[in-house]
Amino acid sequence: MTGFRVLKGGILSLLQDTGRLRYQHLGVTRGGPLDAKSASWANRLLDNDPDAALIEVTAGGLELESRTQIMVAVTGGDLNLTLNGEPQPPWRSFWVRQGDRLKFGTPRYGFRAYLAVSMGFQTQPVLASRATVQRDQLGGLDGNGGALKAGDELPCGHLPEEPISREIPMQYLPEISQDIVLNLIPGYQQQDFSKEAWQTLWHSTYSLSQNSNRMGARLEGPAIVTPNKSFLSEGVSYGAVQVPANGQPIIMLEDRQTLGGYPKLGNILPLDGFRLAQCMPGAKIRFKPMSLAEGQQQMRRYLRFFGL
Amino acid sequence: MSSDAKSNANSLGAEKIAGEVAENSKRPEPTFVHAGVDAVLMQFGEQLDPCMPGFLASLRAQIIAELNDVVYEVVPSYASLLVYYEPRAIGTYDLEQVLNTIASDTPWLCSPWSADSGAPGKLVEVPIYYYELDDNVAENDMAFVCEQTGLARNEVIARHSGRDYQVYALGFAPGFAYLGALDKALQLPRLANPRKNIGAGSVGIAEAQTAVYPQASPGGWHIIGYSPFTWFEPKNHELTPVQVGDRIRFKAISKAEYEHAKAKNQAQLGGAV
Repeated sequence: MTGFRVLKGGILSLLQDTGRLRYQHLGVTRGGPLDAKSASWANRLLDNDPDAALIEVTAGGLELESRTQIMVAVTGGDLNLTLNGEPQPPWRSFWVRQGDRLKFGTPRYGFRAYLAVSMGFQTQPVLASRATVQRDQLGGLDGNGGALKAGDELPCGHLPEEPISREIPMQYLPEISQDIVLNLIPGYQQQDFSKEAWQTLWHSTYSLSQNSNRMGARLEGPAIVTPNKSFLSEGVSYGAVQVPANGQPIIMLEDRQTLGGYPKLGNILPLDGFRLAQCMPGAKIRFKPMSLAEGQQQMRRYLRFFGL
Repeated sequence: MSSDAKSNANSLGAEKIAGEVAENSKRPEPTFVHAGVDAVLMQFGEQLDPCMPGFLASLRAQIIAELNDVVYEVVPSYASLLVYYEPRAIGTYDLEQVLNTIASDTPWLCSPWSADSGAPGKLVEVPIYYYELDDNVAENDMAFVCEQTGLARNEVIARHSGRDYQVYALGFAPGFAYLGALDKALQLPRLANPRKNIGAGSVGIAEAQTAVYPQASPGGWHIIGYSPFTWFEPKNHELTPVQVGDRIRFKAISKAEYEHAKAKNQAQLGGAV
């Protein structure tokens, strides 16, 4: 089997596809790339199926050696990728030969890069998905939710000849910034939060905590007063902004637990969640309101564009 | 709901679990709240009712059968269903109308569960070894539980295994089943400092709930035993042997059976856990 050999796993490098659907009622997390838009672009550059498996590289450090010849596309944050020592800026596809070395450095801008190969990585799916969810011990190369590590052999295809390389036109490049405003669609227990709590939310700037991970983006800043009652646990959807007793909001991301009982203000627009995935700890985060209709319209456009 | 079931508030709202079937129990009307661009939360009140899991299981099956084209995931919890849908295929308001109609057509079977009552769900027997006070297992809390409840170990076992439990929800980890309601004499607040690691198969109690950790994970429940039962197996056709709406009966096993089962499980896992 042709593919790539992992020389260094880096800080956190995970195989992902669009995620493990239809098992949340059993407690199985969906998973999937945190910056799904960048991941979609990587597969689009290669004319891959939108569900093709790729690698999410968080904060850099991944090193690969090619045992095949194939097109590769890299999108998302710029993690100072080099090909045999030559810098490779993201948002384009390029040809990789047998023996070539790909090496991610440290972030130049953004926090997560996506590396796709023609036809995707061909690992064994678990519950119809290759997405790695470490907490659930599902997916990834070994099927048990492991991150990529030195010595792993990542299977993928082989192309007989080099296709034309492509790059994404400037006007489509997403804005990657460490100072972002998230659109919040009020929902869940919105009525249970006081006017004062909402004022705090709309008028404060939060900082992205170091304790953030693929389960949730934890924010630090002015405390939001929580409703003085307890709630039964309920299903938690993507982007839910939950507020535990300490008043510090947590935005629930792709590896979130399926159920949760903290009061929630609503959900952020998923497109903003993708931008959040490119924020480093310490990034500045603010909120503004968005209607459900507006949010759905933006998402419909995105899903249609990528054929999702 | 009994008024003396007050205990520390916790994120699961388990303090609301009563042990008995509510009198004059009837189906609450659903309310709908938005949960983002592609999900609505269908809530059936804020009380916990032992009749609810069976109802939610039936309703969930019906929604999936009728709305297969537009709904792709339905997640039940104590008194709600989170319905994920395809916003390009149906409007939110239309979806709520349809869900409302399906709910009103779903029967509310509220007799206490028995095999021939016609209520959905099955009874599943789960073997459990209750730790001795001095069993050398890092997370063994049996001595602490006896001390805090004022009960002898035998009494803890009798009260824990002496009733059937409802599966109220699956969550936290694949196959982690929230079971209720625990005997009041066994109800304790969670650990102030959750453990970083609890072994797979650990049987925990917290507030009015009990559960078995299907895999090694952090946790804040008091551990009173070990169960060799498999709660989640991705290779099986039926991934979890229990679902929301089923019932669990714990059956105490001997130390010899425990040691045999544990050795066998560890061999299967290659000693990795």
